[in-house]
Amino acid sequence: MGTVAGRNSCHHKGFFFYTVTVHGHGLMDLFPLYLTIKVSLTDVVITTAIGLALSWVMAKKEFIGKELLDIIVMQPLVIPPTVLGYYLLTAFGRSSWLGGFLADTLGFEIAFTWKGAVVASVISSLPLFVKPARAAFESVSSDMENAARMLGKGEAEVFRTITLPLAWRGIAAGAVLAFARSTGEFGATLMIAGNIPGLTETLPIAIYDAMLSGDARSANILVGIITAFSFLVIYAAGVFTKKRY
Amino acid sequence: MSLSFDLKKSFASGFSIDASLSLDAELLVLFGPSGAGKSLLLKLISGMIRPDEGRISIDSETLFESGSVKINAPIRTRRIGFLFQDYSLFPHKTVYENVAYGIEHLERSAVKARVTGLIALMRLEGLEESYPHQLSGGQKQRTALARTLAVKPRILLLDEPFSALDYQVREKLRADLLKIHQLYQITTILVTHDLEEAFMLAERIAVINNGALEQVGTRDEVFYRPRTRSVARFIGTRNIFSGKVSEAGERFIIYSPGLGRVSAAPSATTFSIGQEVSFCIRPEEILIIRPDRALTTDENVFEGVITNSVGKGSTHALFIEAGAASLKAEVPNFVQRKLGLAIGAPVRVLLKKESIWVIPD
Repeated sequence: MGTVAGRNSCHHKGFFFYTVTVHGHGLMDLFPLYLTIKVSLTDVVITTAIGLALSWVMAKKEFIGKELLDIIVMQPLVIPPTVLGYYLLTAFGRSSWLGGFLADTLGFEIAFTWKGAVVASVISSLPLFVKPARAAFESVSSDMENAARMLGKGEAEVFRTITLPLAWRGIAAGAVLAFARSTGEFGATLMIAGNIPGLTETLPIAIYDAMLSGDARSANILVGIITAFSFLVIYAAGVFTKKRY
Repeated sequence: MSLSFDLKKSFASGFSIDASLSLDAELLVLFGPSGAGKSLLLKLISGMIRPDEGRISIDSETLFESGSVKINAPIRTRRIGFLFQDYSLFPHKTVYENVAYGIEHLERSAVKARVTGLIALMRLEGLEESYPHQLSGGQKQRTALARTLAVKPRILLLDEPFSALDYQVREKLRADLLKIHQLYQITTILVTHDLEEAFMLAERIAVINNGALEQVGTRDEVFYRPRTRSVARFIGTRNIFSGKVSEAGERFIIYSPGLGRVSAAPSATTFSIGQEVSFCIRPEEILIIRPDRALTTDENVFEGVITNSVGKGSTHALFIEAGAASLKAEVPNFVQRKLGLAIGAPVRVLLKKESIWVIPD
């Protein structure tokens, strides 16, 4: 459909500015695609790290408040994204204690930066990771793990050699779903990261913008990209969740 | 190695276990009905479930101790071999990898030698590269046994290891197990609810009921001299009657509402006149007397009618109504044919004094 024509970093503060020449139609801004991939990949790394710990603990341990933790982690599935974004802005905005501390003391600004988009993505994709990962951990029977312990293995080794290899398909499926959720994240991202072209404008927000400004061509291209990607995701999730043993 | 334990554990369901036992390098069968706590007891010993109180030790090493000195050795340091009912083989590892899984601190060649030796011992040659889902039930169980033996366990706990297998495979595996027991002399507890299996394998039997050990003894003690009425029932004694002691001296007579006067052999246990007792006789100990044979005594002889007859391979089970009592007798097939013991036929049965076992209620 087009070719990458060049990149420069003119008015987009510090970010590469990707453009593509669409045959006969001049330049098109591909920064939203680049940003979305960057946010989604960062999201997958963080979500997998937090999600693995959460889903393992919830599958294998009994503790007080487990139900409550489950309800909190699953909230983003049902709570309206704008409400979620509102909470995040309240928590991480510069005027809040946490946001102020992060920005002023650690120099880590969340609100209205791409990191805000990552925070919104992590929170909303976490339940999609935890659901299949927890089920996968639960499907590894305690007898199987006890068999390994009986053979002299410690907890870390039981996890590395038995639990993880037997649960990895569910974990991979969770990671794929988390990535997909992140690429499509709109409401919460808009609330906490805003819509700053070339800075926090992700793909879904760019589509919304293009529609509003009557740029149907850009909207069509971006929608096409997202649609094709979504098909790929569901296919990949299916491959990962197929039973092997 | 000797294992001894004295354990108490209450579960949220209200079920509780309270059992103590010591065993040496022997094969002990833990026998009891479903839900008696057999598997739970094994899990308590192995460390998979933590007891509320008590003590577990192997030789002089304490694995668990409650009270002032608290000890609870982690599962991995106990060196107890555990065979699960569903085998619990690692599905993502081959037979070879499963068997080699627990072997540590050995050179590669030594690992290989040990694994290959066990694979040969368990008749698994040629299956080294197979995955568990490609194995039959018997092969899975033999792989699991090899995997357990590979780490040289001090104690072997077998949780209904043959229950999911068909009859012929089970017979072979029992023979394998006896062979291994003789070869390694590992202290072994085998859990089963299969009477025949218990009889075949046991050096000693512990009968568990409702979380408690009701009787521990040699095979003959448990089978022929059950200590309680429920033990008698579990070990397949069908003919159990209630009665009252009416003479307890030179002659030991019990009066039972169903059979009337029954004479038993004098007992080592002292009974008093009027005491409520149960008495039993195993089906294969009941004698059928030919109608033309003259009787020297009428003691313990009962007239009855056969109400049902069930052939079971080499024997027939006969259900006999004698007065107000129902008896089950088991006779070899040739006896059944020769005496014409068909349904409806009148019979005379003799309950030999020596075969009658009396249990205080």
